[in-house]
Amino acid sequence: MTRALPVLTVLAGIVAIWYAAAVWMNATWIFDQAERNGQTVTWAEVIPQTMDQARPLLPPPHQVAAELWKGVAGQAVTSKRSLVYHGYVTVKGTLMGFGLGIVMGVLLAMSIVRFRVMDMSVMPWAIISQTIPIVALAPMILTLSSQLGISGRDVPKAIIAAYLSFFPVLVSMVKGLRAPDQMQLDLLRTYGAGEGATFLKLRLPASMPYFFASLKVAIAASLIGTIVGELPTGAIEGLGARMLIGSQFGEPLIMWAALFAAAILAGMLILAVGVVERLARARMGVPA
Amino acid sequence: MTWLVGTIGIWLAAWALNARLAASGWARTTAGKLAVPILFGVTILVLWEGLVRGAGIAPVILPAPSAIAAKIAVSLPTLWLDFSQTFLKGALPGFVIGCGAAIATAIAIDRSPFLQRGLLPIGNFVAALPIVGLAPILVMWFGFDWQSKAAVVVVMVFFPVLVNMVAGLQASERMQADLMATWGASYWQSLVKLRLPAAMPFLFNGLKIASTLALIGAIVAEFFGSPIYGMGFRISTEVGRLGLDMVWAEIAVAALAGSAFYGLIALIERWVTFWHPSQRH
Amino acid sequence: MKKLMTGAFMAAMATGAQAEDVTLQLKWVTQAQFAGYYVAQDKGFYEEEGLNVTILPGGPDIAPTQVIAGGGADVMVDWMPAALAAREKGLPLVNIAQPFASSGMMLTCLAETGITAPADFADKTLGVWFFGNEFPFLSWMGTLGLATDGSAGGVTVLKQGFNVDPLLQKQAACISTMTYNEYWQVIDAGISPDQLVTFKYEDQGVATLEDGLYVLEDRLADPAFEEAMVKFVRASMKGWKYAEANPDEAAMIVLENDQTGAQTENHQKRMMGEIAKLTAGSNGALDVAAAERTVATLLAGGSDPVITAAPTGAWTSVITDKALAN
Repeated sequence: MTRALPVLTVLAGIVAIWYAAAVWMNATWIFDQAERNGQTVTWAEVIPQTMDQARPLLPPPHQVAAELWKGVAGQAVTSKRSLVYHGYVTVKGTLMGFGLGIVMGVLLAMSIVRFRVMDMSVMPWAIISQTIPIVALAPMILTLSSQLGISGRDVPKAIIAAYLSFFPVLVSMVKGLRAPDQMQLDLLRTYGAGEGATFLKLRLPASMPYFFASLKVAIAASLIGTIVGELPTGAIEGLGARMLIGSQFGEPLIMWAALFAAAILAGMLILAVGVVERLARARMGVPA
Repeated sequence: MTWLVGTIGIWLAAWALNARLAASGWARTTAGKLAVPILFGVTILVLWEGLVRGAGIAPVILPAPSAIAAKIAVSLPTLWLDFSQTFLKGALPGFVIGCGAAIATAIAIDRSPFLQRGLLPIGNFVAALPIVGLAPILVMWFGFDWQSKAAVVVVMVFFPVLVNMVAGLQASERMQADLMATWGASYWQSLVKLRLPAAMPFLFNGLKIASTLALIGAIVAEFFGSPIYGMGFRISTEVGRLGLDMVWAEIAVAALAGSAFYGLIALIERWVTFWHPSQRH
Repeated sequence: MKKLMTGAFMAAMATGAQAEDVTLQLKWVTQAQFAGYYVAQDKGFYEEEGLNVTILPGGPDIAPTQVIAGGGADVMVDWMPAALAAREKGLPLVNIAQPFASSGMMLTCLAETGITAPADFADKTLGVWFFGNEFPFLSWMGTLGLATDGSAGGVTVLKQGFNVDPLLQKQAACISTMTYNEYWQVIDAGISPDQLVTFKYEDQGVATLEDGLYVLEDRLADPAFEEAMVKFVRASMKGWKYAEANPDEAAMIVLENDQTGAQTENHQKRMMGEIAKLTAGSNGALDVAAAERTVATLLAGGSDPVITAAPTGAWTSVITDKALAN
């Protein structure tokens, strides 16, 4: 309770500000409408009207919650109108990208730690790669993969997600694989351990805390990549696609519901990664 | 076919050269540290050029680096106009406002552990959210010019910086804080002389993350409405016109600007936090 | 790596050449604008012709021209200005059929801005779509003699997003709308038609041909591909005529195919009704006079014309002649 109270207080504050902002922002439209029709309205009339507009500038929390509830519980989960279904599509892309990103990050980190030339030549470019706006590459990733005979949009989406999520894994793994100090390395050498054994018995275990710490960042990055991939490139299904359609057809509620669904999804994914991390740490005997 | 064989030959040769360079003592000099990655980058470009020419990939799919370079050379004024709109007017003010607000907020709530305990989990959560989804909404609110782009950047950079700054302010050790207290230092004195400097490594971590987010945010926001210049505008328009050489020219500018920005922050970090172990090599 | 790439590339080309599989790339997301194709699919018109058609929806970042250049589609729906511009860029696109007889594009202005005629555009802010849709607008401004680079006496152009917000938020005096889509969103938002002034490109004499079917020129040399396209056009036009006759049913078919689940029955039924007005009078064959008018409009694009020379061979009646013969 002592931990929940501050969070709840801040949340309550946010909701209060949100309501105030909703009244303020949505009122403009009502005044405009009244002016066009040559009427005058008072604030007492305006405020209730700002609470249930069909296309508000800023929907008040209860409207978003209702839309979210309708999308999650109001339909069969297999329906195309269900947010659960679209959330599933997005999660699928996110996890594929996450997996791909982990593999890429770990392999690159291993070769960077092993080969000096990789370290010197690849590492700076890995940093530069993150400054390239992925949205600009997205359409080209799509065409190139269709040219390579990959149909469907799952793979390009996963590539975009992996592009964003490999980086935190790479950086942490490089740090982690280098974490053992000289004394430990020397000790293994006195045991006559080869390079492979040193890697398996010392470097890899030593890197695990770093690895798990990077996973939380990586899964969030992967989700962002997936949504960016769904947003402007061939919006067909997934939460990003719904945001776009909501924006295009002037249905802000659909957009906001998708946004919050994405937020909830992000929370669940991070939580899940946290659980995996705690289990792994417990198994490895690291004190929590 | 000659293009392909030649390209692969050059690639292998350059790789061998790089491996030798990296193994030699020269690699420890500054020149060596620069030469190896540059050689690697050049090799990638040669490989790219060779693949495009050798496999006969249409320029409307993937233009060759030489074609992109030629495009950059003839469209410098356009690129500068786009750069100043997106980076100087959109990303940079947004970055400054967002980071400034985050630092100010962190200091403001510093004296209230209650607010910190409330804000930190929420800040951590929001920092992981796909904020880009807000871009269409913010464009609707703040209009199509640079203001909305800056707004997207503010929202994107605020939370990562806030979370890092709050963590940083708590980073000074108990013993150091006690020492300040024995000297009779006031809250503000200990903040300025001990805790702010101690927070710097954390702050710069946040700033570095924010620097890459800023440009991405500004470019994405331009997809949802913009004046008829700007990097995001140019990219989305030129893809539609099959002007792929121009798209890649903008990507090159973005990468250059992003890396320079990141590099600048890393330099300032080295200068400000010279005392931190991670800066000692 | 390289081998792999060419190999995959060849494989992609080979599968594309198989006669009976046809992939259609749409210009935009699934909506009633493409009802004819979805109806033909749903009602089995493609199947009757022995075709296996895959319909790929588009999106804001998908250029159909780029998809077809990359071998990701056999045939695409696009507007003639974009196709002609791509042709000048070296992508040999050919119009094989033109289901849309007239243009649905217009500028919609708020009456309160005082705009009553195109001459009033000077010094106003106008919203335009880009991504290949800006060509008709630029040509129109060229004929009006209004500069679009923001200089005084010209117009300020803004790239509008995918909705009508710039007009509702008064960020622009006028925005681009389609008769079948965005115009109704303005109305839905609570602005009545008498508060709006609209300029149809069709009425201004600067209309350009919209949704047509385009393929790559060299593929047409292959008789098997030509045969498949004849079947495809025939079945598609059958779909269009069915959609025109049964707009509500067509709208529901589109809705069935919308994978985002965010489209509404209300929007789609209304869109279908408006689309039917544009496809009316077209049997699929391109009206060459209209195509030449499009070219003339584009060439008149002022200092920065969309195309610099009249194209040759940018359309062919071979497919429609055969498709409509029996």
